[in-house]
Amino acid sequence: MEVTFWGVRGSIPATGPGTVRYGGNTSCVTVLLESGALVIIDCGTGARNLGLSLREGPFGRGKGHATILLSHGHWDHIQGFPFFLPLYVPGNVFEIHGGAASPALLEQVLEGQMAAQFFPVQSFRNMGATVHLHAVEDEREFRVGGAKVRAHGNPHGPTGALAFRIEDAGRVLVYASDAGYATGGADAGSLALYRDADLLIHDSTYTPEDRALRLDRGLSSFEDALDAAARAGARKLALFHYDQDYSDHDVDEICDRARRAAASRSPAVDVVGAAEGLTLRV
Amino acid sequence: MNVRFWGVRGSLPVPGAKTQRYGGNTSCVEVQSASGTRFIIDAGTGIRKLGKELMRTEFQSGHGTAHILISHTHWDHIQGMPFFGPLYEQGNKLFVYARQRDDVHLRAVFASQTEAHYFPVPFDDTRADVSFRGLSDFEDFEIDDVKLSTARLNHPYIATAYSLCVDGAKVAYVADTAPFSDILFGEEFIATPPPAGQKPPPADQEKLRAMRSAVVRLCEGADLVIYDTMFTAGDYRLMPHFGHSRPRDAIDVCQDAGARKLALFHHAPERSDADVDAMLDDARVVASKTGARKLEIVAAFEGLDVTLGQG
Repeated sequence: MEVTFWGVRGSIPATGPGTVRYGGNTSCVTVLLESGALVIIDCGTGARNLGLSLREGPFGRGKGHATILLSHGHWDHIQGFPFFLPLYVPGNVFEIHGGAASPALLEQVLEGQMAAQFFPVQSFRNMGATVHLHAVEDEREFRVGGAKVRAHGNPHGPTGALAFRIEDAGRVLVYASDAGYATGGADAGSLALYRDADLLIHDSTYTPEDRALRLDRGLSSFEDALDAAARAGARKLALFHYDQDYSDHDVDEICDRARRAAASRSPAVDVVGAAEGLTLRV
Repeated sequence: MNVRFWGVRGSLPVPGAKTQRYGGNTSCVEVQSASGTRFIIDAGTGIRKLGKELMRTEFQSGHGTAHILISHTHWDHIQGMPFFGPLYEQGNKLFVYARQRDDVHLRAVFASQTEAHYFPVPFDDTRADVSFRGLSDFEDFEIDDVKLSTARLNHPYIATAYSLCVDGAKVAYVADTAPFSDILFGEEFIATPPPAGQKPPPADQEKLRAMRSAVVRLCEGADLVIYDTMFTAGDYRLMPHFGHSRPRDAIDVCQDAGARKLALFHHAPERSDADVDAMLDDARVVASKTGARKLEIVAAFEGLDVTLGQG
């Protein structure tokens, strides 16, 4: 698998000189499977640049096919959807797997974003590409381009967010953004999903100090992320979904602190800070 | 009066190295009269930083008042609202103005932005005193020492232009709008551009002429006109049905209105700083060729401050 980060930020895009290195776009990650199939996880504003990068290939000619996994419907995970150009090319086909209880609810979330008072296209059915919606059920495995995919609902403040496990060609990738565990950290269900991941992309919105001030947000600190990674036996942890107010310098510090903590407590976990444009081989 | 730009971008925020000088936040402009009456025009992501700034003033203790004028409720004009600090402080008074609709109440439009699927904090949990006022097309009204006028714009699902007069000066905000020539926008989705050279039906042409005249009246004698110039001439040829103007459309309106200064605004997300520079150069050439030599043209950027009239 080849994983590329297109947006690594939480809440709202963060512009300005302070976010140029890690990037200011909201959550969007692609996974290129060994079969060549493309999986897109979340559609924050990073999806716009992803769409632009796909113009020259089959997606520019209406011959593209991709799977989109949506962790949940908060803005920073869907707001790039209306600006994802391949959706406007007839012939392209997208299978959207989302964390709503049924396709009807998923449709309502996506259509709510596209409604006439908010967006000129008025419906995602007007965009041109063919879109199929699939409601994801917790723990039920499904297949995407030769890979096995399984989801688990993590606590996320008053709501939940799905984490995804992708097993492809003997390797395991897990995406767990917007997780806000109760005291004690990730529970058995979450750890089972993350178990032995070669790469765990985990919510690391805050420093532990800032998280303590914002427990109700349902988000993690780098300590929570590292703890989950170590307990699940993950080999590599990518810190992800940084707070919009953190500058590159702040994120550098988060990454340094997480690496030092890993070196002293969980030396088996290799820590990397996700950044826009970063590609990792799994 | 003082005009300050907090977000100058259209469509969606664009962080990154290529937008450092003009800024990547979506539409938000602050206007303050010398006596302190405060307006915020549109609530794109630029309003987040404005909110932080305001939370260092009387808004921090819940003693702030602001009038928020919304041109229309497309995302790039409202998506910063849930991140506006003063909204969460009890005692602050926020008056939100936008065009009245028959179908949806304004509060419902804003509240649906923060429904549980989309945002962790529901609108009803915000603590400021927020009231909504629906405006009819072409309504004139006054707030404290400021005289306001409105005009209907030519944009999908309809947008409103505002002018504000105070301190012996006038500023007009004209976004978003298409030119008043090729397509009459209403509430329907327009999927494809009309065939090249095809004029709208005579009844539509008449409505477009009247709409343009009202916009020219709104901008008449303005010291500053802030205008949606998202499109280059080439963009417009491909996307006349998207509802945005070119610099030459803005220059023509400013010239007819005798306006003194034009701020190009609502830059397209794909426009790098160098691209906006080039658009500004082109616009100045267009103005000098069309006889609008006296019109001063700038391209709006985040942090641009313009003082008009007496302070």
